[in-house]
Amino acid sequence: MTNEDEAGGRKDGQPENKDGKDHGVLYIGMDLGTSRTSVSASNGVRETVYSTVGYPKDHIASKLLQKDVLFGKEAIEKRMSLRVYKPLEKGVIKAGAESDADAEATMKAARDLIGEAIRLAKPRSDELVYCVIGAPAEASMTNREAIIEAAREHVDSVMLCSEPFAVAYGLDWLEDVLVCDIGAGTTDLCRMHGTMPEDADQVMFDVAGDAVDAELAKQIEATCPGAQFTIQMVKEIKERYGFVGDAPERVTVELPVEGKPTSFDLTEQLCAACSVLIEPIVDGIKQLVATFDPEFQQKLKNRVLLAGGGSMVKGLDSAVEKAMHERLGGGKVIRIEEPIYGGSNGALKIAHDMPEEYWEQLK
Amino acid sequence: MAGFKDTLKEAVRQMAFRTSVDKLKKQGVQNVNVLGIDRISALVEAAVYRSLKSRLVGGERDAVAESTKAEFLRLLRTNEDLRREKSEVEKARERAEEEIDVMRRELSQTIRTLAQRLEVGELEGANRYEGEDADIAARVAEAVALTVGGDNQGELKERMTALVMHIVSGERREADAARKALQDREVENLQRRVKKLTQTLEATEARLSQASVEPAIEKGISSIYREVQGLDATDTQAQKKKELMAGIFEANLKLMKRSRRA
Repeated sequence: MTNEDEAGGRKDGQPENKDGKDHGVLYIGMDLGTSRTSVSASNGVRETVYSTVGYPKDHIASKLLQKDVLFGKEAIEKRMSLRVYKPLEKGVIKAGAESDADAEATMKAARDLIGEAIRLAKPRSDELVYCVIGAPAEASMTNREAIIEAAREHVDSVMLCSEPFAVAYGLDWLEDVLVCDIGAGTTDLCRMHGTMPEDADQVMFDVAGDAVDAELAKQIEATCPGAQFTIQMVKEIKERYGFVGDAPERVTVELPVEGKPTSFDLTEQLCAACSVLIEPIVDGIKQLVATFDPEFQQKLKNRVLLAGGGSMVKGLDSAVEKAMHERLGGGKVIRIEEPIYGGSNGALKIAHDMPEEYWEQLK
Repeated sequence: MAGFKDTLKEAVRQMAFRTSVDKLKKQGVQNVNVLGIDRISALVEAAVYRSLKSRLVGGERDAVAESTKAEFLRLLRTNEDLRREKSEVEKARERAEEEIDVMRRELSQTIRTLAQRLEVGELEGANRYEGEDADIAARVAEAVALTVGGDNQGELKERMTALVMHIVSGERREADAARKALQDREVENLQRRVKKLTQTLEATEARLSQASVEPAIEKGISSIYREVQGLDATDTQAQKKKELMAGIFEANLKLMKRSRRA
C-alpha cells in the first residue's frame, strides 16, 4: 500500500536509492515500431509518435524552424526543409546504410527518437525511470544492443522483450495463445505456452503495413490516370478507410490531377491492397499451429490475437478467421482493444512486475 | 476533511474558465445548465468513495483514501508551484524585452550624438580661424598707419603681420591640440558606451531567445508508484510470471555482458 509516509522508501526498508531520486519510480513501456513509437507510463501518460526524425537541412531552415530536431507528424509536415530519417526498418534500427556517415546519422536519429519517446512520457527528474522496450522477436543482437544503448542515455535501467510477447503479457494471456502483431515493416507471430517463447515459437515476415501501402500505390497508379500522390498520402488513405471483405461504404478520395483535386473511387483498390495481409498471416498461423503439441493445437487456433496498427484494417479478423476455416478447419480470431498501445501497455506491465533486484543489476 | 473539501472546491474553481453572457450569446448559446462547485466537489468525492468501496475493504480502503487525498493535495501544490514559476519566467521575459527596448533606444541615441559631435568638430575646425585671421591683419594695418609714415608702410605692415601670425599660429597649434585631446576623449567615451551597449544588447537578446526556445517549465508528471513494485504475490499466475520475468532478465543480462565485452 502506498502512502505519503512511505514516499521514497523501499519495501525492504532500505534507505533512499543511491541515485538520489527519492520521489518515486516511473515505469515506461515502449513499442518501438517502424511507423509509430508508442509509450505507456505509470504516471498515466500514453503517447504515440510517428517514427520519423528530421534535422534542418541548412542554416536558413534551422533559423526558420527554431529547432534542431523535429519528430513525428511535425517532421513529416516540414519535410521539405529537413533531412528526414526513418531510423527503423522492419522494426529494427536500419543496418547496411550506404556509408559510415549514413549509418552514424541513422543511429543518431534512432537515439533521438527513443529520447523523444521517453520525454513524451513526462518523467520527473527526481524519479527512477525503468523502461521495457518491445523489439521485434527476430531483431539481431547488434540491433538490440543499439536500442539498449540509445535508451540508457535517458533512463536508469532498461530491458528489451519481444513485441508479441509483450502484447500477450499485457492481456494476461500467457498460455496457448497465438499473437499476430501487424506492424508497418513486419508482421510478427508468436505462440505462448507459459514459458519464454523460443525461436521455434516465432515467425516474422515483411508483409505488413508498408506492403499494403506499396500495393495500394501500385493499384492507384494503374487505375487512376493522372492522379498525383505520395506514399504518405497513400498511408493516410489506408489508415482512414482500410478494409477487407465487404465494403462498409464506398471509399471516395480526392487526389490532384495536374493540380486540380479530382475524386476517385478507391473501394476495390483498397480492398485488394489490404487483402495482401491475409495469406501470409494464415501461412504463419498454420506453421505455428502445425508444429505445436497436437493436444493443444485446437486451443491455440481458437486463441489468435490480432494486434499492432495493421490490425485496424476493418474486417481483417473475420477475413483471417474465414481463411483459417478453409485451410485449418476453423479458428477464432480476436482483435485487441487498443492496437496502437497493446505493445506498450504490455511492456509497461512487464516493467511493473519485474523484481527490483533485476533492475538494479542492469543499471 | 473540511480542508480537503475547500481545496477540492478551489481546484474546481481554478480549472473553470470565465466567460461573459454576451460571449455565450454570440456563440449562439441561449440557455446553460448550471452546476455549483459544492455539487461538483460532492460528486467527485462520492465517486471516489464508491469506487474504493467496490474494490477494497476496511482499513485498506481508508489507507487508500487518505493516500489519494494526500497525493491530490501534493499534486495541487506542485501545480501551483509550476504555475507560479511559469508566471515568474514570463515576467522575467517581459522585463528582458523592456530592457532590450530601452537599450536599443539608448544605443541609437548615443550613436546619433557621436555622429553629431564628429561632424560639428570638423566644421568648427574649418571655420574657427577664418574671421580671426582677417581681424589680426586689420589691427596690424591700423597700428602701422598710426605710427609709421612714408613708403615703407606696406612692407612694414606685411612683416609685422607675418610676425604676429607666426606667434599666433604657435598658440593656435597648442590650443588645437588641447581641444582635439578633449574631443578625442569625448568621442572615445561615446564609442566605449556604444560598444558596451551593443554587447549588453546582444547578451540580453541571446538570453531572451534562449528563454523563448526552452520549453515551458516541465517538471514531469509523478508516477503513481513511490517505490519499486514487482509481482503481486496474490496473482493467480504469479509463479509462471516469475519464471517469465527471470527469462527476460537473463536474456537482457546476457545482452549487457556482451555489450560490455565489446
